Amino acid sequence: MRVVGFLFGLGPILFGVGFLAPVIAAAITASGLDAPAGLSAVQFGLLTGIILGVIARQRRTWLW
Amino acid sequence: MVTETNTPGLRAREKAIAEQFIGGFPWIMVIWPLVNTSLWLALWPLVMTGALPLWAGFLIATVNMTAAYLPSHEAQHHIIVPEGSRWHWFNEFIGWYALIPMFAPLTVLRVTHFEHHRHTNDPLLDPDIPMAANSAWAAIGRALVKGQPRHDRYGMTLQRLGTSGAKTASLHAMLAKAVQYSMLAALAWSGHALEALLLWWLPLKIGLVYINFYLSWAPHRPMTGRGRYKDTRAFSSFFGNIGSSGMQYHIIHHLYPTIPLNRHPAAFRALRPILEERGCDLGGL
Repeated sequence: MRVVGFLFGLGPILFGVGFLAPVIAAAITASGLDAPAGLSAVQFGLLTGIILGVIARQRRTWLW
Repeated sequence: MVTETNTPGLRAREKAIAEQFIGGFPWIMVIWPLVNTSLWLALWPLVMTGALPLWAGFLIATVNMTAAYLPSHEAQHHIIVPEGSRWHWFNEFIGWYALIPMFAPLTVLRVTHFEHHRHTNDPLLDPDIPMAANSAWAAIGRALVKGQPRHDRYGMTLQRLGTSGAKTASLHAMLAKAVQYSMLAALAWSGHALEALLLWWLPLKIGLVYINFYLSWAPHRPMTGRGRYKDTRAFSSFFGNIGSSGMQYHIIHHLYPTIPLNRHPAAFRALRPILEERGCDLGGL
């Protein structure tokens, strides 16, 4: 139960890696843009997804 | 002012009228989820094969999400087939099937919704109280806040209850969340990220704002009134009764939860003189 609780506590980070990252990568590819700093779309998606996920977990919100 | 205790005759009259609207087989609540959920499931092959543009799929999926909850609400109250019937399994099937787009377990919604009925507008015990707000814009803001990590009251309510039903519901909630987000991740990482976003995740978020606004906030606003005739109100919606998911007459549901949704307007008209005598807020209807 503690493991389950721990994993659910990581929810926003898992969401950032599991869903947000590929969505960002797909949006960049679909819009024909290049990811900044020479990163690939997937690398940029992962970086952004993890950072936003960590912030959302700490602040308990994605919005402010 | 009449009260519940000084007018036993009034209560008996109210009950006699209300009972005329209870019972029968609500066909609309069976056909509705069968069409709605099946249509949402069909969007996936239609969009993935290019037969339907993604933007059109997004619009349809958003409507699907806003319509997914209500049939399960009827099932939560055992309105489709009553408990004790040999066909009660069909009530449960409709309740679960309706919720597939939302990926929410019937057990969780039933336990927490019954708590909402028991403790409507109680600041500590009503699971819907995070929607309390003084204006429509504030209520939309509340719905967005409720969707943030660890901000809803349903998990807390299940933990507080601690019954076997609540424990089962907690397990179902955890499983549903794990499976839903695993499926979203699998879709997204296998080249269907935009489909997962626009057919499921984003329509669900929009649908939840609509559902929380019209089902949790509008009939109870500002969510401070307490008592049988004060905790719920009738109201006139800009989008009409259908556009507000039948919530204009939600006061009928809180007084008699087993009256089917499609009979609420008629029951309201029949009970109106008694509700006026009780001093209920009828919202100008």
